Amino acid sequence: MADEEDEVETVFIMATVKINGKEITVEDGTLILDAARQAGFEIPTFCYQARLSGLGSCRMCLVEIAGQKKLQPSCVTPVLHGMDVFTENETVKSARASMLEFLLANHPLDCPTCDKGGECELQNFVFKSGPRQSGFSEWKRRFHDKDKILSPVIVKNHNRCIHCERCVRICDEVVGAKALGGIGRGVMIQSTGFMDDRLDCDHCGNCIEVCPVGSFMSLPYRYKARPWDLKEVDTVCPYCATGCQITIGIRNGEVVRVKSRINTGINKETLCARGRFGYHFIQSRDRITKPMVKKDGKLAECSWDEALSVIKQMFGSGRRTAGIASARYTNEELFVFQKLVREVFKTNNIDLDSRFANKWVTSAMIDACSLAAGGIPIFDALKADLIFIIGSAVSDENPVTDYLIRTAASDRRKTLIIAHPRRMKLDSSSAISLRYKPGTEGEVIKGIADFIENGGESTSDINAAAARFKNASNITMFLGAEILRLANGVDVLTGIAALKALLKRSGKNIKCLPLFDRCNQRGARAMGIHPLFLPGLKKVKEDGMDCGEMLDAAKKGEIDSLYVLGEDIVSMHPDARFAREALSNIKFKVVQDTFLTETAKIADVILPGASYAEKDGTFTNQEGRVQRLRKVISPVGDSKDDLDILCSIGGFAYKSAREVFEKIKKEVAGYKDISFEELDGNGAIVTGHGRQSLSLKGTVPLLSGSDNSGQQSIKEDKEYPFLLITGNHLFHSGRLSQRADILMQLLPEPFVEISEDDARESGIVDGEKVVVKGNGYEAAMKLRIAKGSQKGVAFVPENFDSVSVNMFYKKGEGIPRVKIVKLP
Amino acid sequence: MLSDKSKEEIKRVLNKYPNKRSAAMDALRIAQNETGCLSGDVMQEVAGILGMPAPQVNEVAAFYTMYNKKPVGKYHIQVCTNVSCSLLGAEHIVEFLSRKLGIKKGETTPDKKVTLSVVECLGSCGTAPMMQINDDYYEDLTDEKIEEILSKLP
Ligand code: SF4
Ligand code: SF4
Ligand code: SF4
Ligand code: FES
Ligand code: FES
Repeated sequence: MADEEDEVETVFIMATVKINGKEITVEDGTLILDAARQAGFEIPTFCYQARLSGLGSCRMCLVEIAGQKKLQPSCVTPVLHGMDVFTENETVKSARASMLEFLLANHPLDCPTCDKGGECELQNFVFKSGPRQSGFSEWKRRFHDKDKILSPVIVKNHNRCIHCERCVRICDEVVGAKALGGIGRGVMIQSTGFMDDRLDCDHCGNCIEVCPVGSFMSLPYRYKARPWDLKEVDTVCPYCATGCQITIGIRNGEVVRVKSRINTGINKETLCARGRFGYHFIQSRDRITKPMVKKDGKLAECSWDEALSVIKQMFGSGRRTAGIASARYTNEELFVFQKLVREVFKTNNIDLDSRFANKWVTSAMIDACSLAAGGIPIFDALKADLIFIIGSAVSDENPVTDYLIRTAASDRRKTLIIAHPRRMKLDSSSAISLRYKPGTEGEVIKGIADFIENGGESTSDINAAAARFKNASNITMFLGAEILRLANGVDVLTGIAALKALLKRSGKNIKCLPLFDRCNQRGARAMGIHPLFLPGLKKVKEDGMDCGEMLDAAKKGEIDSLYVLGEDIVSMHPDARFAREALSNIKFKVVQDTFLTETAKIADVILPGASYAEKDGTFTNQEGRVQRLRKVISPVGDSKDDLDILCSIGGFAYKSAREVFEKIKKEVAGYKDISFEELDGNGAIVTGHGRQSLSLKGTVPLLSGSDNSGQQSIKEDKEYPFLLITGNHLFHSGRLSQRADILMQLLPEPFVEISEDDARESGIVDGEKVVVKGNGYEAAMKLRIAKGSQKGVAFVPENFDSVSVNMFYKKGEGIPRVKIVKLP
Repeated sequence: MLSDKSKEEIKRVLNKYPNKRSAAMDALRIAQNETGCLSGDVMQEVAGILGMPAPQVNEVAAFYTMYNKKPVGKYHIQVCTNVSCSLLGAEHIVEFLSRKLGIKKGETTPDKKVTLSVVECLGSCGTAPMMQINDDYYEDLTDEKIEEILSKLP
């Protein structure tokens, strides 16, 4: 746990009730259903779902309460002290059977052709408690003969719907897309999209997950398998750092679906489109499956022995060599990677891709979020009465975190404040959404701090937000990865640290969590993928170079060799031209990856590694929760487990991820109490690494090559009126997701998003094709209008090879300027 | 697209309600008065004005029979078939009308003059069986009465 004080203990009033004669004491206000479950009695339910609002419509959960004539729905009835409840007597059982009979009266019973057969709640309950015969001989309702395809991921059969409204409520209350409705009345209701087939939504598939029957179904999984044919493995989503638990189902060696389990992980039954439908890259035909070396200027397939032996030239090269890793690799792989770089190559030049950040900003982030002090479970963080988010379009970047925050913020006693230039889905749950020009995050923070200290009129949004800060006693701040990209990121983070200190002085509890866009960004730092830190965030003796410095040095001819683990520097590093030029100056480059990325194309050796589904290990999510990845299939073709590759190069004797984890436990204090074997669906929260704050004050040198462009870019520029921000789109993550077919169907190409005011002024309409120009680069794309976004800001997703957004950046520039012109 | 007049009217009725979404029924009524029926585009527009998710506007429109989801004829005959009317022969009334007009329930005559619909209780149970044509009620129906009513439709 972090150094924050514990919250005040809440005192609960208790109630003692009898359930089927068994006495149990629960918190007053507990639902009878939950009390019964605690007492060990299972009550069947359809419309009830713990995180959704109570509906009480299906009547499956009826129970008898002594002294009350009518049976009561236990899912919406709270216990009263002294209640005597029966959940299994004859009256209840016969009511249950009758409710099922009513549901079956209109159910097609086409189980043999239904994807849900075998894992259908209706089927299961009827089998267990249903009538064996029906008294109904009337016609059955029938909406359609053919199932309806509502989206690239949803296929719908209205005939099977049992009207539990779980789909509608999850879409509305948890996902926040509000894309579904119960259209019609009575038995003729269809739970579906606008006008049935005009479904415009987030494609998260959570409606499919919660549907108890085969009414909402997954199109990609359709007729692919029966549940009992599947081998299912629990593992972790490889995209963002929310760290959702997923269950991969394979049939005959083919990955056929990803689902979520109701009792597992912080995400429970929910996922986002990436997590649920982004699995096709695993078995993509574009995977690289053979090692390659460059011969006569051309990459040619070779044997593993040959590929590995040429790498020996990097051994002992010291400061003239370097290693760059991606935060998508496991803790174990990254730990061994840093060992390889530090102990075998003999250099501290090691970093994550650091798409935009330098080592001072990343250190400041580690400090601002007290990452060295241990993890904070998100549900603890969300207990705060004020939740503040800055620097992340969280609805796009961390969709399931967005769901969790939405659910928390639906409590009227809580205040949510979002600070971001772009409109986002979560705005509908916020009390205040602060808009600002990117690059001025520091001013927002300073404005809040000033008002708290000096007071004033709360007329501006910032002051109104500050007033809320003043009134709150438990505050949680979420700091987004966008701050890392700012040229003045250190200033912003220093400002945040000052604000935290100010709030602490006035007696408030402050928690600070990062919002990261790569699954193991937090773990990577703890494993020592940082030019300043060894594993456990222990300071190195001799500072290494960060990614930007390595490229600078390469440009000057001071780097001879580079080992890249799964990162696409050419595509992601700001100032694409510079990155390419600098890399081409490095004589020997090794790229270990799953796809032939732009960076791999200019490598001298390519080592085909494995995807997340082909390996064991752990990821540490943004909360500091360590979770297990489990191997689902063997590495495709001749590719190899990345840990094996790294160990055989470095000559390390680890035989499994578990063995590496044992070593990590010894070197990284926060991991010492975690048992690799016992990590279940809830993972384990890391404890503190026992390192005090880095105390960067005074030691931060001028940001490398930035010449204060943070200030510069905010100046007006009539010719290039837009400040450009880039990031992940809801359906994409880095350049990996473009290898996942379904995600490419959902969003095949980039777009540029601007505010409604800007669109009106430039006379461009939604969907129109425009050209975005800046820094001597231009790209054509469609325009999207975001009502409520900051004027003068443009957003382009950074996920597509077809548009290299990093071409818009000049080196060291946090926020470039662009112009948008209509296509004639 | 709704006319400026309808949009103005919707904006005016908004004042009567504690929040915008409470005005959904009134807004849909105004929209239907202009357009005759509530197409997806019309509902989308109303949703935009009310700041409501379109599927929720769709829910409201679909729940009430007084909102037409398809175009209707000049005269919209709505026959109540709920309990009281049923007990007093509503099914026969529907069948009789159907025969007279040459259309099934839910259909419109080819000349677009009459649409025949079946609805739930219209609150006139005391004078069952009954039907509504456009905004007027016709009660204590018999075959003869219906013939007369139909013949008088201009
Ligand atoms: S896929 Fe997600 S956003 Fe779309 S309708 Fe289902 S729950 Fe709603
Ligand atoms: S579609 Fe499924 S989840 Fe939605 S109401 Fe019907 S049965 Fe329930
Ligand atoms: S929210 Fe993040 S971790 Fe969860 S499913 Fe989506 S991409 Fe994966
Ligand atoms: S589960 Fe209680 S009424 Fe549906
Ligand atoms: S039942 Fe027909 S008007 Fe009430």
